[in-house]
Amino acid sequence: MQFLTAMTVLAAESEGGSNTSLVLPETSELIAGIIAFAIVFFFVWRWAMPTITATLEKRRQAITGQMEEAEKAKREAESLLSDYRAQLAEAKTEGSRLIEEARQSADQMKADIVAKAEQDAEGIRAKAREEASGEMSRALADAKSQVGDISVELAGKIVGESLDAKAHKALIDRYLADLEKI
Amino acid sequence: MADQRIQGYARGIFEMAKGEGSLDRVESELLAVAHAIESSGDLRSSLTDPQLPLDKKQAILDELIGGRASSMTVAAVQMIVTQGRAADLPEIAMGVAEVAAESRDKAVAEVRSAVPLDSETVARLTTSLSRATGKQVEVKVVVDPSVIGGIVSRVGDTVIDGSIARRIDQVKHVVKTR
Repeated sequence: MQFLTAMTVLAAESEGGSNTSLVLPETSELIAGIIAFAIVFFFVWRWAMPTITATLEKRRQAITGQMEEAEKAKREAESLLSDYRAQLAEAKTEGSRLIEEARQSADQMKADIVAKAEQDAEGIRAKAREEASGEMSRALADAKSQVGDISVELAGKIVGESLDAKAHKALIDRYLADLEKI
Repeated sequence: MADQRIQGYARGIFEMAKGEGSLDRVESELLAVAHAIESSGDLRSSLTDPQLPLDKKQAILDELIGGRASSMTVAAVQMIVTQGRAADLPEIAMGVAEVAAESRDKAVAEVRSAVPLDSETVARLTTSLSRATGKQVEVKVVVDPSVIGGIVSRVGDTVIDGSIARRIDQVKHVVKTR
């Protein structure tokens, strides 16, 4: 503690005489410094500044361009999206229209098929009726003809069996008489 | 006698029989055979059956006419059957009769009756048919039960039908068309 107190006293004593000479340089040194600074400033201002300014300007422009492009891309993307949405909506409408059309044509076809089937059935029924009646009249005609044949045949047999010698002679005589008249 | 072949057979048999001097006999025997074939369906179908061997047909013919008919008739019938023309035999027999009648300047009148006719009836038929047709006819009587009653005469293409069979046919026609 004693040591520290001694140090402080010492410092206070040495500073007391030349406080300004510690901060401010000598006048010649100051002039040389000012000239050197001016030279460096001139060089920097003359050559380095424009380069830096140009580079900065370039960078600024590049960033602006990129931003603009990004903005453009965004706009394009939005326009595409809206296009897609519109197309989607259109496609939906078209799809439901097609489905509706298909349903309608299916209904039409169904109705057509049913109508045709009914018509065909009616035709078949009519034909069957016609055939049945034709068949019946044919059978009737057939039966008639057969009855005729059978009865005539029977009549022939009965006549043939009932002819005796006298009847035969009478028939032959009549034939001869007719023949002699020619 | 529209068929040339039948006419040919008839002429051939006529010439041979005439040469042998047995024309009359052959003529009537052939008509008898023809009648037998016409009136028996069994006989006709066996003689015309192409499946039946010839020797079987010969046996049937032997049984039918062998020993009873003249050798000329037997030979003629055998020839016709061997040639497969048994179905034409009745027409050939009638053809022989027609050719023979022609050679005597006469026409054949084929007379079909259900019963045999006596000679008086045959004589009357000969006279009447000769007058009706304007030709001298020789009456050949064929007994045919299918006539039923009455007579059917045929001279050439002229047919004079006075049979019950025809009347029944007419009745049948009327019944059918009514």
